Amino acid sequence: MPRSLWNGTITFGVIAVPVKLYTATESRTVRFREVHLADEGKIEHRRFCSKEEKEVPYDEVVKGHEVREGEFVVLEKEEIEAAAGDRAKIIELESFVEATAIDPVFYEKTYYVGAGDAGTDAYRLLHDALGATGRAGLGRFTFHNREYLVAVRPLDGILGLHTMRFADELVPGKDIDFSAPSRKPAEKEIEMARKLVDSLHEEYDPGKRTDSYREAVLEMIERKASGKKPRKAKEKPPEETPDLMAALEASLAGKK
Amino acid sequence: MPRPLWSGSISFGLVNVPVVMFSAARDLGVRFNQLHAKDGARIETRRYCAEEDKEVPFEEIGRAFDLDDGKTVVVTDEELQEVAPRRTRTIDIEAFADLAAIDPIYFDHPYFLAPIGDSDGTRRAYQLLVEAMDRDEQVAIGRFVMRTKEYLVAIQVRDERLALTTMRWGDEIRSTKGIDTGGKKPAKAQLDQAVALIEALGTEWEPEAWDDRHRARLEDVIERKRKGQTIKAPAQEREEPSPVPDLMAALEKSLAEAGSGKKKAAPRKEKAEARDGELADLSREELYERAQEEDVPGRSSMSKGELIDALEG
Repeated sequence: MPRSLWNGTITFGVIAVPVKLYTATESRTVRFREVHLADEGKIEHRRFCSKEEKEVPYDEVVKGHEVREGEFVVLEKEEIEAAAGDRAKIIELESFVEATAIDPVFYEKTYYVGAGDAGTDAYRLLHDALGATGRAGLGRFTFHNREYLVAVRPLDGILGLHTMRFADELVPGKDIDFSAPSRKPAEKEIEMARKLVDSLHEEYDPGKRTDSYREAVLEMIERKASGKKPRKAKEKPPEETPDLMAALEASLAGKK
Repeated sequence: MPRPLWSGSISFGLVNVPVVMFSAARDLGVRFNQLHAKDGARIETRRYCAEEDKEVPFEEIGRAFDLDDGKTVVVTDEELQEVAPRRTRTIDIEAFADLAAIDPIYFDHPYFLAPIGDSDGTRRAYQLLVEAMDRDEQVAIGRFVMRTKEYLVAIQVRDERLALTTMRWGDEIRSTKGIDTGGKKPAKAQLDQAVALIEALGTEWEPEAWDDRHRARLEDVIERKRKGQTIKAPAQEREEPSPVPDLMAALEKSLAEAGSGKKKAAPRKEKAEARDGELADLSREELYERAQEEDVPGRSSMSKGELIDALEG
């Protein structure tokens, strides 16, 4: 049985749904720690006062926000908490939107939401009704002294809660500036490229692809540990395509 | 123009386009620096070798991996790169899939890809990918390596540019096993009512309508602190509502409220009333301080509610 991170209540209309929140994702990237290459000594991060050139114990460190070059406003823990907003453990679903209308860029982190100890019929009702409408409920959620915009939707038989990015946190495409080509791609080229897209279409299965790099890194570590030389992969990065049409034709031919 | 995070090329069949990658999300959260309480000077983090008790320059730091048998293996960045040299330079498109088939739980961070270099051919090839991939509800699936981690990515066209979203691997998603799936299946009449309620509260997805109130409040707290005011965390908290005994009656009541517009369906925009919304969270003392600031007449005899009204007006 997983351990819940947060217990609270989701509301829609006047209906209260007691819920428990769980971690849904975990990174499996190979983690390294920092060492001093000369003696493999552990690297420690020590805090120093830039004025006194002296190490500073943690309890003498405060948080300051720079309002102007060199001018800081120091905030106490309680003052930061004051900005957290409503700390009641309630997520009020204020509106419901078509789940498919939300662009992937808005999704940040996902949590699982399970039924609480009471009101479990209301939990099931919310789950089934969201499923029937294809909508996601939007609301605000305060967690660890920070308020989030969240979307709640059915996920693998339970409810999922996604924290969302705010619109102004997304970089508009026009900020990524580059000039257009002097000549547009020809209709024929686009048509061939689309054919190639179609030929590569598949039913998406998230379990099908695994992190083979992670496996290769672990294997390399094992080889080093047993005193062997790490294997060198022989692949070369590809070169720029000089002739688009020829490359498209060759790609399509290779698919057949 | 933001700073590129990675450069390499995107490879689609035998078509290969040199690109640079930019983050498509920016953190607008209020930033804090660590300071020394005593003198307000910045705190610097310095790396020390624990063996020698000596500061170590960045170039002398390596990556260590501890094996289960207690052995430690130190690897270099070059060794990590040599494990998959192609992928550190190339985003390989392996397939195309329906966007709807990918659950949002997999999405991690958004980026943009832009063509790099002065070559007209590169920009034309980039444009070709945009035209070929700009189809509704479809994404390209690919992979590449950035800073010692391999990413599975979904690429689609957004704002006439190639937009890349990194995704979590299948084994990075936890099982939902053991999580309580709730009570009994709702009766049809109940489900119909709940569906009607959700539809009544239905709106278009308008991301701009949701503002980051937390950011705004933190900025306000900083401004007030700067002016020398004392800030206290709100003491009161709303009480959690109890589960309703009669779901059907609650649904009817909710629907009646949603229908009468008593419950607003649109998200509540707070920017304009940000301060007002907060006033209710303040103690009488704090309200009184604000009233002093604004020189509200008769403030000393006002109740909390009267102070809020006066400050709002």
